[in-house]
Amino acid sequence: MSILVVEGLRKTYPGGRRTPPVEALRGISFAVERGEFFGLLGPNGAGKSTTIGCISTLVRPSAGRILVDGVDVARAPQEAKRRLAVVPQTRNLDRDLTVREILTFHGRYFGLPAAEREARTDRLLAELQVAEKAHVKPLELSGGQQQRVMIARALMHDPTVVLLDEPTTGLDPQARRRLWETLGALHTRGMTFILTTHYMEEADRLCERVAVVDHGRILTLDSPAALKKALPGAQVLDLWVRAPRPLAPRLTALRGVLKVDPMRLEGEGDGLERLRLFVDPADGLLDRVLHAIRDEGADLHHVNLAQPSLEDVYIHLTGKELRE
Amino acid sequence: MIAFLALLRRDLLVSRRNAVPLLVATLTQPILVVLVFGNLLPRMNLVAPEFRTVMVPGLMAITMLMAGVQGVLLPLVQDLSGSREVDERLLAPITVRGVALERIVAGALHASTAGIIALPAMMLLMHQVGGVQAHPRWTVLLPLVAVCGLLSGAFGLTLGTHVQPRFAGLLFAVVLGPMMLFGCAYYPWASLGAIGPLRYLFVVNPLVFISEAMRLGVTPDVPHMALPALLAGLAGYLALFTLAGTRSFERRTIL
Repeated sequence: MSILVVEGLRKTYPGGRRTPPVEALRGISFAVERGEFFGLLGPNGAGKSTTIGCISTLVRPSAGRILVDGVDVARAPQEAKRRLAVVPQTRNLDRDLTVREILTFHGRYFGLPAAEREARTDRLLAELQVAEKAHVKPLELSGGQQQRVMIARALMHDPTVVLLDEPTTGLDPQARRRLWETLGALHTRGMTFILTTHYMEEADRLCERVAVVDHGRILTLDSPAALKKALPGAQVLDLWVRAPRPLAPRLTALRGVLKVDPMRLEGEGDGLERLRLFVDPADGLLDRVLHAIRDEGADLHHVNLAQPSLEDVYIHLTGKELRE
Repeated sequence: MIAFLALLRRDLLVSRRNAVPLLVATLTQPILVVLVFGNLLPRMNLVAPEFRTVMVPGLMAITMLMAGVQGVLLPLVQDLSGSREVDERLLAPITVRGVALERIVAGALHASTAGIIALPAMMLLMHQVGGVQAHPRWTVLLPLVAVCGLLSGAFGLTLGTHVQPRFAGLLFAVVLGPMMLFGCAYYPWASLGAIGPLRYLFVVNPLVFISEAMRLGVTPDVPHMALPALLAGLAGYLALFTLAGTRSFERRTIL
Protein backbone atom coordinates (compact mmCIF):
# COMPACT_ATOMS: atom_id res chain seq x y z
CA MET A 1 0.00 0.00 0.00
CA SER A 2 1.18 3.56 -0.70
CA ILE A 3 2.61 5.37 2.30
CA LEU A 4 0.91 8.61 1.27
CA VAL A 5 -2.28 8.94 -0.75
CA VAL A 6 -3.66 12.31 -1.81
CA GLU A 7 -7.04 12.19 -3.53
CA GLY A 8 -8.88 15.04 -5.21
CA LEU A 9 -7.35 17.67 -2.95
CA ARG A 10 -8.89 21.11 -3.29
CA LYS A 11 -8.30 24.27 -1.34
CA THR A 12 -9.87 27.67 -1.76
CA TYR A 13 -8.67 30.37 0.60
CA PRO A 14 -11.60 32.63 1.45
CA GLY A 15 -11.16 36.18 0.26
CA GLY A 16 -11.17 39.24 2.43
CA ARG A 17 -13.13 42.46 2.12
CA ARG A 18 -10.98 43.63 -0.77
CA THR A 19 -9.40 40.39 -1.94
CA PRO A 20 -11.15 37.71 -3.99
CA PRO A 21 -11.01 34.07 -2.86
CA VAL A 22 -7.96 32.18 -4.09
CA GLU A 23 -8.30 28.73 -5.56
CA ALA A 24 -4.91 27.33 -4.56
CA LEU A 25 -5.57 23.66 -5.29
CA ARG A 26 -7.96 22.46 -7.98
CA GLY A 27 -7.97 18.71 -7.57
CA ILE A 28 -4.54 17.27 -6.77
CA SER A 29 -4.12 13.48 -6.63
CA PHE A 30 -1.00 11.39 -6.24
CA ALA A 31 0.38 8.49 -4.26
CA VAL A 32 3.86 8.04 -2.84
CA GLU A 33 5.42 4.64 -2.16
CA ARG A 34 7.40 3.73 0.93
CA GLY A 35 11.03 4.75 0.58
CA GLU A 36 10.37 6.97 -2.41
CA PHE A 37 11.82 10.44 -3.00
CA PHE A 38 8.88 12.29 -4.51
CA GLY A 39 8.96 15.83 -5.86
CA LEU A 40 6.39 18.57 -6.38
CA LEU A 41 7.90 20.92 -8.92
CA GLY A 42 6.41 24.23 -9.91
CA PRO A 43 6.70 28.01 -9.71
CA ASN A 44 5.85 30.06 -6.61
CA GLY A 45 2.10 30.11 -6.11
CA ALA A 46 1.53 26.82 -7.91
CA GLY A 47 0.06 25.22 -4.79
CA LYS A 48 3.05 23.22 -3.56
CA SER A 49 3.15 24.64 -0.05
CA THR A 50 -0.63 24.44 0.29
CA THR A 51 -0.39 20.75 -0.57
CA ILE A 52 2.27 20.27 2.11
CA GLY A 53 0.12 22.28 4.53
CA CYS A 54 -2.90 20.06 3.90
CA ILE A 55 -0.87 16.88 4.38
CA SER A 56 0.60 18.20 7.64
CA THR A 57 -2.79 19.35 9.08
CA LEU A 58 -1.83 23.03 9.10
CA VAL A 59 -4.14 23.84 6.21
CA ARG A 60 -7.74 22.64 6.18
CA PRO A 61 -8.58 21.25 2.72
CA SER A 62 -11.83 22.34 1.05
CA ALA A 63 -12.27 18.87 -0.43
CA GLY A 64 -10.36 15.65 -0.90
CA ARG A 65 -8.79 13.00 1.26
CA ILE A 66 -5.26 12.39 2.52
CA LEU A 67 -4.01 9.11 3.97
CA VAL A 68 -0.64 8.88 5.68
CA ASP A 69 0.32 5.26 6.24
CA GLY A 70 -3.38 4.44 6.10
CA VAL A 71 -4.37 7.15 8.60
CA ASP A 72 -6.90 9.74 7.45
CA VAL A 73 -5.35 13.14 8.21
CA ALA A 74 -8.73 14.87 8.65
CA ARG A 75 -10.19 12.20 10.93
CA ALA A 76 -7.17 11.37 13.07
CA PRO A 77 -4.82 14.37 12.88
CA GLN A 78 -2.90 13.37 16.02
CA GLU A 79 -2.15 9.91 14.63
CA ALA A 80 -1.17 11.42 11.30
CA LYS A 81 1.14 13.96 12.94
CA ARG A 82 3.04 11.19 14.72
CA ARG A 83 3.89 9.70 11.33
CA LEU A 84 4.78 12.99 9.66
CA ALA A 85 7.60 15.45 9.89
CA VAL A 86 7.79 18.83 8.21
CA VAL A 87 10.79 20.91 7.29
CA PRO A 88 8.98 24.19 6.62
CA GLN A 89 9.85 26.82 4.10
CA THR A 90 10.32 29.56 6.70
CA ARG A 91 12.97 28.94 9.28
CA ASN A 92 10.94 28.57 12.43
CA LEU A 93 13.42 27.25 14.97
CA ASP A 94 12.52 28.08 18.56
CA ARG A 95 14.74 31.09 19.14
CA ASP A 96 14.58 30.87 22.92
CA LEU A 97 16.20 27.44 23.04
CA THR A 98 19.63 26.13 22.11
CA VAL A 99 20.02 23.76 19.17
CA ARG A 100 20.28 20.80 21.48
CA GLU A 101 17.20 21.83 23.44
CA ILE A 102 15.24 22.31 20.23
CA LEU A 103 15.85 18.66 19.44
CA THR A 104 15.26 17.29 22.93
CA PHE A 105 12.05 19.31 23.36
CA HIS A 106 10.80 18.08 20.01
CA GLY A 107 11.43 14.59 21.38
CA ARG A 108 9.49 15.47 24.54
CA TYR A 109 6.51 16.75 22.53
CA PHE A 110 6.36 13.31 20.92
CA GLY A 111 6.77 11.51 24.25
CA LEU A 112 10.21 9.98 23.66
CA PRO A 113 11.72 8.51 26.83
CA ALA A 114 14.72 10.43 28.17
CA ALA A 115 17.44 7.95 27.26
CA GLU A 116 16.23 7.60 23.69
CA ARG A 117 15.77 11.35 23.38
CA GLU A 118 19.33 12.10 24.39
CA ALA A 119 20.84 9.34 22.27
CA ARG A 120 18.89 10.37 19.21
CA THR A 121 19.77 14.03 19.71
CA ASP A 122 23.47 13.18 19.80
CA ARG A 123 23.21 10.98 16.74
CA LEU A 124 21.26 13.51 14.65
CA LEU A 125 23.44 16.45 15.66
CA ALA A 126 26.46 14.48 14.45
CA GLU A 127 24.75 13.17 11.35
CA LEU A 128 23.63 16.61 10.20
CA GLN A 129 26.98 18.10 11.08
CA VAL A 130 25.73 20.61 13.63
CA ALA A 131 27.17 18.95 16.74
CA GLU A 132 29.57 21.82 17.38
CA LYS A 133 26.60 24.22 17.41
CA ALA A 134 24.65 22.23 20.02
CA HIS A 135 24.73 24.96 22.64
CA VAL A 136 24.12 27.90 20.36
CA LYS A 137 20.76 29.59 19.72
CA PRO A 138 19.35 29.44 16.19
CA LEU A 139 19.73 33.14 15.40
CA GLU A 140 23.49 32.69 15.58
CA LEU A 141 23.46 30.01 12.87
CA SER A 142 23.90 30.43 9.13
CA GLY A 143 20.99 29.65 6.83
CA GLY A 144 22.44 26.29 5.87
CA GLN A 145 23.01 25.34 9.51
CA GLN A 146 19.47 26.34 10.45
CA GLN A 147 18.19 24.16 7.64
CA ARG A 148 20.22 21.23 8.96
CA VAL A 149 18.89 21.74 12.46
CA MET A 150 15.33 21.80 11.07
CA ILE A 151 15.97 18.50 9.34
CA ALA A 152 17.47 17.02 12.51
CA ARG A 153 14.44 18.26 14.46
CA ALA A 154 12.10 16.68 11.92
CA LEU A 155 13.82 13.33 12.24
CA MET A 156 13.71 13.28 16.05
CA HIS A 157 10.41 11.41 16.33
CA ASP A 158 11.33 8.88 13.66
CA PRO A 159 8.64 9.90 11.13
CA THR A 160 7.39 7.66 8.34
CA VAL A 161 7.13 10.49 5.84
CA VAL A 162 9.24 13.64 5.76
CA LEU A 163 7.85 16.71 4.00
CA LEU A 164 10.50 19.16 2.77
CA ASP A 165 9.07 22.50 1.69
CA GLU A 166 11.58 24.32 -0.50
CA PRO A 167 14.48 23.19 1.70
CA THR A 168 17.26 24.89 -0.22
CA THR A 169 15.64 28.25 -0.99
CA GLY A 170 17.90 31.06 0.10
CA LEU A 171 20.98 28.87 0.50
CA ASP A 172 24.22 29.55 -1.31
CA PRO A 173 25.19 26.97 -3.95
CA GLN A 174 27.69 25.25 -1.69
CA ALA A 175 25.27 24.86 1.21
CA ARG A 176 22.64 23.64 -1.25
CA ARG A 177 24.94 20.95 -2.60
CA ARG A 178 25.82 19.83 0.91
CA LEU A 179 22.16 19.58 1.80
CA TRP A 180 21.48 17.53 -1.32
CA GLU A 181 24.19 15.10 -0.28
CA THR A 182 22.71 14.80 3.20
CA LEU A 183 19.20 14.21 1.86
CA GLY A 184 20.50 11.68 -0.64
CA ALA A 185 22.28 9.79 2.13
CA LEU A 186 19.16 9.74 4.32
CA HIS A 187 17.13 8.51 1.40
CA THR A 188 19.41 5.57 0.67
CA ARG A 189 18.57 4.40 4.19
CA GLY A 190 14.93 4.01 3.19
CA MET A 191 13.33 7.24 4.38
CA THR A 192 10.34 8.55 2.40
CA PHE A 193 10.67 12.18 1.31
CA ILE A 194 8.28 14.56 -0.35
CA LEU A 195 10.04 17.63 -1.60
CA THR A 196 8.67 20.82 -3.08
CA THR A 197 10.97 22.95 -5.13
CA HIS A 198 11.16 25.39 -7.96
CA TYR A 199 14.73 24.35 -8.73
CA MET A 200 14.77 21.99 -11.70
CA GLU A 201 18.21 20.74 -10.88
CA GLU A 202 17.14 19.86 -7.37
CA ALA A 203 14.15 17.83 -8.53
CA ASP A 204 16.22 16.17 -11.24
CA ARG A 205 18.96 15.21 -8.86
CA LEU A 206 16.99 14.04 -5.83
CA CYS A 207 13.56 12.86 -6.93
CA GLU A 208 12.65 9.46 -8.26
CA ARG A 209 9.31 10.78 -9.43
CA VAL A 210 8.23 14.34 -10.02
CA ALA A 211 4.78 15.91 -10.27
CA VAL A 212 4.87 19.13 -12.23
CA VAL A 213 2.38 21.51 -10.59
CA ASP A 214 0.95 24.73 -11.96
CA HIS A 215 -2.13 26.73 -10.94
CA GLY A 216 -3.20 24.12 -8.42
CA ARG A 217 -3.14 21.18 -10.79
CA ILE A 218 -0.71 18.41 -11.58
CA LEU A 219 0.27 18.74 -15.21
CA THR A 220 2.27 15.54 -15.41
CA LEU A 221 3.80 12.98 -13.10
CA ASP A 222 6.65 10.58 -13.85
CA SER A 223 10.35 9.98 -13.28
CA PRO A 224 12.58 12.84 -14.43
CA ALA A 225 14.06 10.61 -17.14
CA ALA A 226 10.65 9.58 -18.47
CA LEU A 227 9.42 13.19 -18.41
CA LYS A 228 12.38 14.30 -20.49
CA LYS A 229 12.00 11.35 -22.80
CA ALA A 230 8.39 12.27 -23.43
CA LEU A 231 9.46 15.56 -24.97
CA PRO A 232 9.40 15.60 -28.77
CA GLY A 233 12.85 15.07 -30.23
CA ALA A 234 16.12 14.23 -28.59
CA GLN A 235 17.48 17.75 -28.17
CA VAL A 236 16.37 21.30 -27.57
CA LEU A 237 17.57 24.11 -29.79
CA ASP A 238 17.06 27.61 -28.46
CA LEU A 239 17.27 30.57 -30.82
CA TRP A 240 17.29 34.24 -29.86
CA VAL A 241 16.24 36.14 -32.97
CA ARG A 242 14.92 39.47 -34.12
CA ALA A 243 12.59 38.80 -37.04
CA PRO A 244 10.36 41.03 -39.20
CA ARG A 245 7.63 38.36 -39.26
CA PRO A 246 6.90 35.16 -37.31
CA LEU A 247 9.49 32.47 -38.00
CA ALA A 248 7.67 29.55 -36.42
CA PRO A 249 5.71 28.33 -39.49
CA ARG A 250 8.80 28.22 -41.66
CA LEU A 251 10.92 26.48 -38.99
CA THR A 252 8.24 23.92 -38.16
CA ALA A 253 8.27 22.78 -41.77
CA LEU A 254 11.97 21.89 -41.67
CA ARG A 255 13.04 18.25 -41.57
CA GLY A 256 14.26 17.28 -38.08
CA VAL A 257 12.26 20.04 -36.35
CA LEU A 258 9.41 18.48 -34.38
CA LYS A 259 7.94 21.46 -32.61
CA VAL A 260 8.53 25.19 -32.27
CA ASP A 261 7.52 27.04 -29.11
CA PRO A 262 7.78 30.82 -29.15
CA MET A 263 8.80 31.89 -25.64
CA ARG A 264 7.87 34.96 -23.75
CA LEU A 265 10.92 37.06 -22.97
CA GLU A 266 10.37 39.29 -19.99
CA GLY A 267 11.68 42.81 -19.93
CA GLU A 268 13.13 42.78 -23.42
CA GLY A 269 10.82 44.76 -25.58
CA ASP A 270 13.34 45.46 -28.31
CA GLY A 271 11.89 42.89 -30.70
CA LEU A 272 14.18 40.09 -29.60
CA GLU A 273 12.30 36.80 -29.30
CA ARG A 274 13.26 33.37 -28.15
CA LEU A 275 12.20 30.30 -30.06
CA ARG A 276 12.48 26.86 -28.61
CA LEU A 277 12.84 24.08 -31.17
CA PHE A 278 12.44 20.43 -30.21
CA VAL A 279 14.68 18.69 -32.73
CA ASP A 280 16.04 15.35 -33.83
CA PRO A 281 19.57 16.27 -34.76
CA ALA A 282 19.64 14.89 -38.30
CA ASP A 283 22.40 15.73 -40.79
CA GLY A 284 22.57 19.37 -41.70
CA LEU A 285 19.84 20.45 -39.32
CA LEU A 286 21.66 23.51 -38.01
CA ASP A 287 22.47 24.50 -41.56
CA ARG A 288 18.83 24.31 -42.60
CA VAL A 289 17.70 26.31 -39.60
CA LEU A 290 20.27 29.05 -40.13
CA HIS A 291 19.43 29.19 -43.81
CA ALA A 292 15.72 29.56 -43.10
CA ILE A 293 16.38 32.37 -40.63
CA ARG A 294 18.54 34.29 -43.09
CA ASP A 295 15.98 33.67 -45.79
CA GLU A 296 13.25 35.30 -43.70
CA GLY A 297 15.43 38.35 -43.21
CA ALA A 298 15.82 37.72 -39.48
CA ASP A 299 18.74 38.49 -37.21
CA LEU A 300 20.16 35.62 -35.18
CA HIS A 301 21.66 36.71 -31.87
CA HIS A 302 22.33 33.59 -29.92
CA VAL A 303 22.01 29.80 -30.25
CA ASN A 304 21.94 27.07 -27.67
CA LEU A 305 21.70 23.34 -28.37
CA ALA A 306 21.24 21.11 -25.33
CA GLN A 307 19.94 17.87 -23.88
CA PRO A 308 16.44 18.47 -22.56
CA SER A 309 16.17 19.21 -18.83
CA LEU A 310 13.20 19.24 -16.49
CA GLU A 311 12.95 22.94 -17.19
CA ASP A 312 12.24 22.10 -20.81
CA VAL A 313 9.52 19.76 -19.65
CA TYR A 314 7.99 22.58 -17.67
CA ILE A 315 8.28 25.03 -20.54
CA HIS A 316 6.81 22.50 -22.91
CA LEU A 317 3.83 21.98 -20.61
CA THR A 318 3.12 25.57 -19.68
CA GLY A 319 4.72 27.69 -22.38
CA LYS A 320 6.49 29.75 -19.74
CA GLU A 321 9.78 29.70 -17.95
CA LEU A 322 10.13 28.66 -14.37
CA ARG A 323 11.89 31.52 -12.71
CA GLU A 324 12.76 32.25 -9.15
CA MET B 1 -1.39 15.24 27.57
CA ILE B 2 2.30 14.37 27.18
CA ALA B 3 2.71 17.01 24.51
CA PHE B 4 0.77 19.53 26.61
CA LEU B 5 3.08 19.05 29.59
CA ALA B 6 6.16 19.12 27.38
CA LEU B 7 5.06 22.44 25.87
CA LEU B 8 4.42 23.82 29.34
CA ARG B 9 7.82 22.64 30.46
CA ARG B 10 9.43 24.42 27.54
CA ASP B 11 7.58 27.65 28.35
CA LEU B 12 8.55 27.46 32.00
CA LEU B 13 12.20 26.90 31.10
CA VAL B 14 12.17 29.98 28.87
CA SER B 15 10.33 32.06 31.51
CA ARG B 16 12.81 30.98 34.17
CA ARG B 17 15.66 32.10 31.94
CA ASN B 18 14.00 35.45 31.38
CA ALA B 19 12.84 35.76 34.99
CA VAL B 20 14.63 39.01 35.72
CA PRO B 21 13.34 41.06 32.79
CA LEU B 22 9.88 39.53 33.22
CA LEU B 23 9.73 40.47 36.89
CA VAL B 24 11.04 43.93 36.23
CA ALA B 25 8.40 44.41 33.54
CA THR B 26 5.51 43.36 35.74
CA LEU B 27 6.59 44.56 39.18
CA THR B 28 8.02 48.00 38.43
CA GLN B 29 4.65 49.68 38.05
CA PRO B 30 2.94 48.38 41.22
CA ILE B 31 6.05 48.97 43.29
CA LEU B 32 6.34 52.57 42.17
CA VAL B 33 2.64 53.16 42.74
CA VAL B 34 2.98 51.74 46.25
CA LEU B 35 6.02 53.87 46.89
CA VAL B 36 4.15 57.05 45.98
CA PHE B 37 0.59 56.35 47.14
CA GLY B 38 1.39 53.93 49.93
CA ASN B 39 4.46 55.54 51.41
CA LEU B 40 5.15 59.09 50.27
CA LEU B 41 1.65 60.59 50.13
CA PRO B 42 0.45 59.12 53.46
CA ARG B 43 3.53 60.56 55.15
CA MET B 44 2.59 63.94 53.73
CA ASN B 45 -0.96 63.33 54.97
CA LEU B 46 -2.24 63.73 51.44
CA VAL B 47 -3.86 60.32 51.29
CA ALA B 48 -6.18 58.70 53.80
CA PRO B 49 -4.56 55.69 55.46
CA GLU B 50 -7.54 53.47 54.47
CA PHE B 51 -6.63 53.98 50.84
CA ARG B 52 -3.54 51.88 51.29
CA THR B 53 -5.51 48.96 52.59
CA VAL B 54 -7.80 49.23 49.58
CA MET B 55 -4.89 49.57 47.19
CA VAL B 56 -2.92 46.46 48.14
CA PRO B 57 -5.28 43.83 46.72
CA GLY B 58 -6.13 46.11 43.79
CA LEU B 59 -2.52 46.46 42.75
CA MET B 60 -2.04 42.75 43.17
CA ALA B 61 -4.96 42.22 40.77
CA ILE B 62 -3.50 44.65 38.24
CA THR B 63 -0.10 42.98 38.49
CA MET B 64 -1.66 39.59 37.84
CA LEU B 65 -3.71 40.77 34.90
CA MET B 66 -0.73 42.44 33.28
CA ALA B 67 1.58 39.47 33.90
CA GLY B 68 -1.00 37.05 32.50
CA VAL B 69 -1.67 39.13 29.42
CA GLN B 70 2.03 39.69 28.76
CA GLY B 71 2.83 36.04 29.41
CA VAL B 72 0.49 35.08 26.60
CA LEU B 73 0.64 38.09 24.32
CA LEU B 74 4.39 38.37 23.82
CA PRO B 75 5.01 34.73 22.81
CA LEU B 76 1.87 34.88 20.71
CA VAL B 77 3.14 37.83 18.71
CA GLN B 78 6.29 35.83 17.99
CA ASP B 79 4.20 32.74 17.16
CA LEU B 80 1.96 34.46 14.68
CA SER B 81 4.68 36.57 13.10
CA GLY B 82 6.27 35.72 9.78
CA SER B 83 8.50 33.01 11.19
CA ARG B 84 5.54 30.87 12.29
CA GLU B 85 7.26 29.31 15.28
CA VAL B 86 3.82 28.15 16.30
CA ASP B 87 3.92 25.48 13.59
CA GLU B 88 6.35 23.45 15.66
CA ARG B 89 3.69 23.33 18.39
CA LEU B 90 0.85 22.64 16.00
CA LEU B 91 2.76 19.72 14.48
CA ALA B 92 3.16 18.05 17.88
CA PRO B 93 0.67 15.28 18.60
CA ILE B 94 -1.84 17.55 20.35
CA THR B 95 -5.04 19.28 19.24
CA VAL B 96 -4.97 22.92 18.20
CA ARG B 97 -7.20 23.69 21.21
CA GLY B 98 -4.64 21.92 23.36
CA VAL B 99 -1.90 24.22 22.10
CA ALA B 100 -4.11 27.24 22.89
CA LEU B 101 -4.99 25.96 26.38
CA GLU B 102 -1.32 25.43 27.13
CA ARG B 103 -0.76 29.11 26.37
CA ILE B 104 -3.48 30.04 28.86
CA VAL B 105 -1.98 27.84 31.56
CA ALA B 106 1.50 29.27 30.94
CA GLY B 107 0.03 32.78 31.23
CA ALA B 108 -1.74 31.77 34.43
CA LEU B 109 1.55 30.63 35.94
CA HIS B 110 3.10 33.98 35.05
CA ALA B 111 0.16 35.83 36.60
CA SER B 112 0.07 33.78 39.80
CA THR B 113 3.80 34.04 40.33
CA ALA B 114 3.73 37.79 39.80
CA GLY B 115 0.78 38.21 42.20
CA ILE B 116 2.36 36.13 44.92
CA ILE B 117 5.64 38.04 44.67
CA ALA B 118 3.94 41.42 44.45
CA LEU B 119 1.97 41.02 47.69
CA PRO B 120 4.89 40.75 50.16
CA ALA B 121 6.91 43.27 48.14
CA MET B 122 4.16 45.85 48.54
CA MET B 123 3.68 45.05 52.22
CA LEU B 124 7.37 45.52 52.79
CA LEU B 125 7.37 48.93 51.13
CA MET B 126 4.42 50.13 53.16
CA HIS B 127 5.32 48.73 56.51
CA GLN B 128 7.17 51.91 57.54
CA VAL B 129 3.83 53.64 57.74
CA GLY B 130 1.50 51.61 59.89
CA GLY B 131 -2.19 51.01 59.51
CA VAL B 132 -2.48 48.66 56.52
CA GLN B 133 -5.12 46.10 57.37
CA ALA B 134 -3.91 43.20 55.25
CA HIS B 135 -4.43 39.77 56.76
CA PRO B 136 -4.12 37.32 53.86
CA ARG B 137 -6.25 34.20 54.25
CA TRP B 138 -3.97 31.92 52.27
CA THR B 139 -6.36 28.97 51.99
CA VAL B 140 -8.88 31.24 50.27
CA LEU B 141 -6.34 33.42 48.52
CA LEU B 142 -4.30 30.75 46.74
CA PRO B 143 -7.20 29.08 44.88
CA LEU B 144 -8.48 32.54 43.95
CA VAL B 145 -5.03 33.49 42.67
CA ALA B 146 -5.05 30.37 40.49
CA VAL B 147 -8.49 31.14 39.02
CA CYS B 148 -7.65 34.80 38.47
CA GLY B 149 -4.37 33.75 36.83
CA LEU B 150 -6.24 31.52 34.39
CA LEU B 151 -8.66 34.33 33.67
CA SER B 152 -5.75 36.70 32.95
CA GLY B 153 -4.14 34.16 30.62
CA ALA B 154 -7.40 33.49 28.78
CA PHE B 155 -7.99 37.22 28.46
CA GLY B 156 -4.47 37.61 27.03
CA LEU B 157 -5.12 34.88 24.47
CA THR B 158 -8.38 36.52 23.42
CA LEU B 159 -6.72 39.91 23.05
CA GLY B 160 -3.64 38.53 21.32
CA THR B 161 -5.52 36.51 18.73
CA HIS B 162 -8.05 39.23 17.94
CA VAL B 163 -5.53 41.96 17.35
CA GLN B 164 -2.89 42.25 14.66
CA PRO B 165 0.55 41.81 16.26
CA ARG B 166 1.64 45.26 15.17
CA PHE B 167 -1.16 46.82 17.23
CA ALA B 168 -0.12 45.00 20.40
CA GLY B 169 1.32 48.22 21.82
CA LEU B 170 -1.98 50.00 21.31
CA LEU B 171 -3.73 47.41 23.48
CA PHE B 172 -2.00 48.66 26.57
CA ALA B 173 -3.14 52.21 25.97
CA VAL B 174 -6.66 51.58 24.74
CA VAL B 175 -7.77 48.43 26.54
CA LEU B 176 -5.60 47.70 29.54
CA GLY B 177 -5.17 51.30 30.71
CA PRO B 178 -8.91 52.01 31.09
CA MET B 179 -9.44 48.55 32.54
CA MET B 180 -7.04 49.35 35.36
CA LEU B 181 -8.72 52.63 36.19
CA PHE B 182 -12.23 51.20 36.12
CA GLY B 183 -11.37 47.79 37.56
CA CYS B 184 -12.13 48.38 41.25
CA ALA B 185 -8.42 48.25 41.92
CA TYR B 186 -8.21 51.62 43.66
CA TYR B 187 -11.66 51.50 45.29
CA PRO B 188 -13.79 48.61 46.46
CA TRP B 189 -16.91 47.52 44.63
CA ALA B 190 -18.93 48.20 47.77
CA SER B 191 -18.03 51.92 47.69
CA LEU B 192 -19.24 52.20 44.10
CA GLY B 193 -22.70 52.38 45.62
CA ALA B 194 -21.90 56.10 45.64
CA ILE B 195 -22.69 56.33 41.93
CA GLY B 196 -25.95 54.37 42.16
CA PRO B 197 -26.98 51.83 39.52
CA LEU B 198 -24.24 53.13 37.22
CA ARG B 199 -21.89 50.85 39.12
CA TYR B 200 -23.30 47.84 37.30
CA LEU B 201 -21.63 49.16 34.15
CA PHE B 202 -18.35 48.25 35.79
CA VAL B 203 -19.02 44.52 35.58
CA VAL B 204 -18.14 44.54 31.86
CA ASN B 205 -14.59 44.83 33.16
CA PRO B 206 -13.23 41.42 34.21
CA LEU B 207 -10.61 43.13 36.37
CA VAL B 208 -13.42 44.10 38.78
CA PHE B 209 -13.79 40.45 39.74
CA ILE B 210 -10.06 39.86 40.04
CA SER B 211 -9.69 42.91 42.29
CA GLU B 212 -12.61 41.87 44.47
CA ALA B 213 -11.31 38.31 44.66
CA MET B 214 -7.94 39.57 45.90
CA ARG B 215 -9.73 41.88 48.33
CA LEU B 216 -11.57 38.89 49.71
CA GLY B 217 -8.35 36.94 50.10
CA VAL B 218 -5.95 39.67 51.27
CA THR B 219 -8.04 42.19 53.21
CA PRO B 220 -11.10 40.25 54.36
CA ASP B 221 -12.05 43.11 56.70
CA VAL B 222 -12.66 45.55 53.87
CA PRO B 223 -16.17 45.19 52.37
CA HIS B 224 -16.08 43.12 49.19
CA MET B 225 -18.33 41.55 46.64
CA ALA B 226 -20.31 38.56 47.90
CA LEU B 227 -18.61 35.26 47.19
CA PRO B 228 -21.34 33.79 44.93
CA ALA B 229 -21.40 36.89 42.71
CA LEU B 230 -17.63 36.92 42.68
CA LEU B 231 -17.31 33.28 41.69
CA ALA B 232 -20.02 33.62 39.05
CA GLY B 233 -18.20 36.58 37.51
CA LEU B 234 -14.81 34.84 37.53
CA ALA B 235 -16.21 31.58 36.13
CA GLY B 236 -18.27 33.36 33.51
CA TYR B 237 -15.39 35.44 32.22
CA LEU B 238 -12.99 32.50 32.37
CA ALA B 239 -15.35 30.39 30.25
CA LEU B 240 -16.01 33.22 27.83
CA PHE B 241 -12.37 34.13 27.23
CA THR B 242 -11.20 30.53 27.11
CA LEU B 243 -13.76 29.78 24.43
CA ALA B 244 -13.20 32.99 22.48
CA GLY B 245 -9.42 32.77 22.77
CA THR B 246 -9.02 29.14 21.74
CA ARG B 247 -11.44 29.60 18.85
CA SER B 248 -9.71 32.60 17.48
CA PHE B 249 -6.31 30.97 18.03
CA GLU B 250 -7.49 28.12 15.83
CA ARG B 251 -8.73 30.54 13.20
CA ARG B 252 -5.44 32.40 13.20
CA THR B 253 -3.17 29.35 13.00
CA ILE B 254 -4.95 26.78 10.81
CA LEU B 255 -5.57 28.17 7.35
